[in-house]
Amino acid sequence: MARIELENIKKAFGKVQALDGVTFEVKDKEFFVLFGPAGAGKTTILNCIAGIAMPEEGVVKFDGEVMNLTDPAHRNVAMVFENYALYPQMTVYDNMASALRSKLYKTDEAEIKERIQRAAKIMKMENLLERLPSQLSNGQKQRVAMGRALVRTPNVFLMDEPLAHLDAKLRNSMRTELKEMQANLGTTCIYVTHDFMEAMALGDRIAIIKEGKIVQIGTSDEIYYMPCNEFTASLMGDPEINIIEAEISGSADEYTADIRVNGDTVTVPLPKDGAVYEKIDDMGLKRAHLGIRPQNVKYAFEPTDGYFKTTVYSYESIGNKSVIVAECGAYQIRMIAPNGLNVAIDSDVYIRLETDHAIFFDSETKKYIVRYDEATYVALAASEMEE
Amino acid sequence: MAGLTLNHLYKRYDNSGKKKKIKNDFAVKDLNLVCEQGEFVALLGPSGCGKTTTLRMIAGLEEITDGEIYIGERLVNNLHPKDRNIGLAFEDYAMYPPLNVYGNVAFNLRAKGVDKAEIDRKVREIAPLMQIDDLLDKMPVKLSGGQKQRVNIARAIIREPELLLMDEPLSHLDGKARQAMRTEIKRLINKIKCTTVYVTHDQLEAMSLADKIAIINFGVLQQFGTPTEVYDDPANEFVASFIGEPPMNILETKIINKDGTFFFTFSESNLQIAVPKRYYDVVEDGFRCKMGVRPMDVLVGGEDSQGTPEEIATFENLGDERRIGIHVGDVLMMLITEDEKRYKRGDIIKLEVRGEKTHLFNIETGERIREN
Amino acid sequence: MKDNKQKALNIVMNILLIIYAVFALFPLLWMILISFKSDTEVFSTTFLFHPTLANYQEVLLRSDYASYIIDSVIVSGGAVLVSIIVGVPAAYALARYQFPRKEDLAFQILSYKFAPEILVVLPLFMIYQKIGLYDSYVGLIWVYQLISLPLLIWVVRGYFEDISVEIEYAAQVDGYSWYQIFFKMLVPLIKPGLVSSALLAFIFAWNSFTFPLILSSNKVYPVTVAIMKYLGTDSAHYGQLAVASTVSALPAVIFALCIQKHLVRGLSFGAVKG
Repeated sequence: MARIELENIKKAFGKVQALDGVTFEVKDKEFFVLFGPAGAGKTTILNCIAGIAMPEEGVVKFDGEVMNLTDPAHRNVAMVFENYALYPQMTVYDNMASALRSKLYKTDEAEIKERIQRAAKIMKMENLLERLPSQLSNGQKQRVAMGRALVRTPNVFLMDEPLAHLDAKLRNSMRTELKEMQANLGTTCIYVTHDFMEAMALGDRIAIIKEGKIVQIGTSDEIYYMPCNEFTASLMGDPEINIIEAEISGSADEYTADIRVNGDTVTVPLPKDGAVYEKIDDMGLKRAHLGIRPQNVKYAFEPTDGYFKTTVYSYESIGNKSVIVAECGAYQIRMIAPNGLNVAIDSDVYIRLETDHAIFFDSETKKYIVRYDEATYVALAASEMEE
Repeated sequence: MAGLTLNHLYKRYDNSGKKKKIKNDFAVKDLNLVCEQGEFVALLGPSGCGKTTTLRMIAGLEEITDGEIYIGERLVNNLHPKDRNIGLAFEDYAMYPPLNVYGNVAFNLRAKGVDKAEIDRKVREIAPLMQIDDLLDKMPVKLSGGQKQRVNIARAIIREPELLLMDEPLSHLDGKARQAMRTEIKRLINKIKCTTVYVTHDQLEAMSLADKIAIINFGVLQQFGTPTEVYDDPANEFVASFIGEPPMNILETKIINKDGTFFFTFSESNLQIAVPKRYYDVVEDGFRCKMGVRPMDVLVGGEDSQGTPEEIATFENLGDERRIGIHVGDVLMMLITEDEKRYKRGDIIKLEVRGEKTHLFNIETGERIREN
Repeated sequence: MKDNKQKALNIVMNILLIIYAVFALFPLLWMILISFKSDTEVFSTTFLFHPTLANYQEVLLRSDYASYIIDSVIVSGGAVLVSIIVGVPAAYALARYQFPRKEDLAFQILSYKFAPEILVVLPLFMIYQKIGLYDSYVGLIWVYQLISLPLLIWVVRGYFEDISVEIEYAAQVDGYSWYQIFFKMLVPLIKPGLVSSALLAFIFAWNSFTFPLILSSNKVYPVTVAIMKYLGTDSAHYGQLAVASTVSALPAVIFALCIQKHLVRGLSFGAVKG
């Protein structure tokens, strides 16, 4: 159990700047997720915390104590590696006992046995203890890797994409299991993933990493509803958020947005909202990118008032629901629809953007400006933080 | 007209040489399938279920043990692969490395001795369709995974096959590239209207691409139907749990009769769900079976709901939706909500199950129990 | 139909293999036969002769042959031991660390094996004479590194490369020091490669002829050179020569037979993947 602080960590591999001034603080007992695309530097951050990698600049602190010069063995961290890193010559039991048998964390065998059995029960792998790693499936290896960390009482659990090598279904069910386990963890945990569902579901807070820099830190709701830029917005949610370029016109009484659809200009209303109108006024906003989530796009197959016409680019099931992609010339609009509709490709579809859920981004810097019902979401995120 | 007919198809691997007799040595067992002309059919199943063997038999790369394969009206059992008029796109890209993209796409036609002008016309026609027109001069090593796969498909369709066979063509791509390629394949097949058999282990891919899905397990066809059919009306427990993510909740249940109304009950749980009236003819007091219900059909009731109070075991906020897990005995029952309310572990909710959406399965065989 | 064809093919293959085996083993067999012949019968090409143990008595009991064997054991064993002590860390460094011109260095080590011994042995002779390594155990053990070290480094490096670096990290995080990790985690994993390459290196060192011929004379006398003694300037005791050769070949043959399975698996990389 410890509070982990990173201050201005920099690390380069040759000419590649893997980490470029990473600063964050993880509270005691917090489940903190590092989330970003492949190669963003997430694993390097974990390695710096574990002491496996040495940052060229910056400070790593556990409970206020600088750990930079402490070797990995003495940091008392438990790590789950992406490739599991099980010791091939040892049985599952011995793998799990490994840390507790080291000189530093010496525990008596009876205690080891008890802890392993408890961890094995949580991870549902009691029947695997006598096997060798080579006799395990990927899912089982993943459990053992987790189990090996769970038997310890470390300062912090470090988990590097522990679910990445599982197939989609197993990954989802393991994620749920992990969530269930989380309450019993009782220890600070830093979890690396590139799967937004894992990040959203598991993280008390999420740090978004891109090219070695922290882009945003916040609760899942904060990041989902108030992404700091278009990059963050596009990472969260499947299908991806629609980003639509709009020209804003009108006056303080009523603003509207003009968007281009297949060469035509379509005017969509921007309903009155205190914060939004204020921002438009203050900034004299003429042009913005509207971020609209696919569930906030409505469709019809008949001409309908307030809907504009486009054509269907594709219609695909994504499991319990489907996605219609509509062709709009320079870009496409994705929207959620139920399964089993009879939608032909290239047929006409009429769509309406629920602009009262829109997020405004700067058309140049792509940064967050304002969103509808901002106050509500700020309050929601704040209430989450309290828990 | 049928594009492809499989008639009592068997594949048995010869295990006589091995000391240990393998019990189930049929890779494919009595497979009957009729794909209509122009239909996109997915062969779906877990790895080792026989779907790739089936595809290889259709292609002529694998001998068949018994049964008949018709492409169109032609019996092709004894035809050499090259005479079957099929296009193949496999998991690994298998391009000829010394040839550029143009050469790779044209290779087959050149081998057949089609004249140059004709080849060029065809390549130029197909390139924009697969969006490889600006790649034609590139060498295979320079291409990304998605591009290679497009070339691979272009190569398969350039000979205008009667039947297009694809084996997990997307499995090497990840995340967004995979999604984008899926959409492209769908649009392309829609355009060329070629009968297509597509092998995959990813239910999502099958659901989103195919006109019809053949679900195979242990070499045996489980169900053959449209995506909606297999999703809403699964033939057995295997299909029900294989299709859909999160998978259908399947729980062992004992049905009780309370004053003429039947209820599903579960061991170590006070959850009770009304049995739909349509099942009244097939159930009785004390009847044991498995009940399946999709996570979308389990709801959180409002304040005045009659639902059973249950404690939340897991709550996952996924942004677009939220998933709640509830312990029913030792099974974690999942439900999906899209409302904005946030819960946490330990909260009590009123659980409502859309009884009319439940499915019954035989406890031993897993077969669907249907109303009379 | 198919089965018959298969059977016929099998028979033909077996016959070919037997012919090859006879061809390959014949010199060995002939040598053993000679060792039991008296000098007068040595040149008879029939298999009929009066077996005698006289040669064995002469070589094993009435000459210094045992001391030659001991010299061989010391020199070859010492060479392998040094190779292990030096080679395993070197292999680890080549597998794990990035440093400039790493591959060049690795290739250079391997290239020692390419150079014909006769090419380097003359300059070595002169150097050894000067610095007093000539005709010493240390000198031979040192020069044998040319034979055993490259082999060991290359095989063991492959093994180290197959062990994912995360396993070391995991052990570090588990609270082990580097030395503990090395001996507890890594050595068991490279053991098949280490054992097979060490035994192979031992056999190569044992069989080495050129180096001891030129770089040693009286004090250190490995068997390979000692055998030459039986080819006197005036007379050739082929029977004794055969005995000496047979006995000196024994360790190699025994080792090869013991580790046969190990050797094939150990030298094909990637056998440890977990």
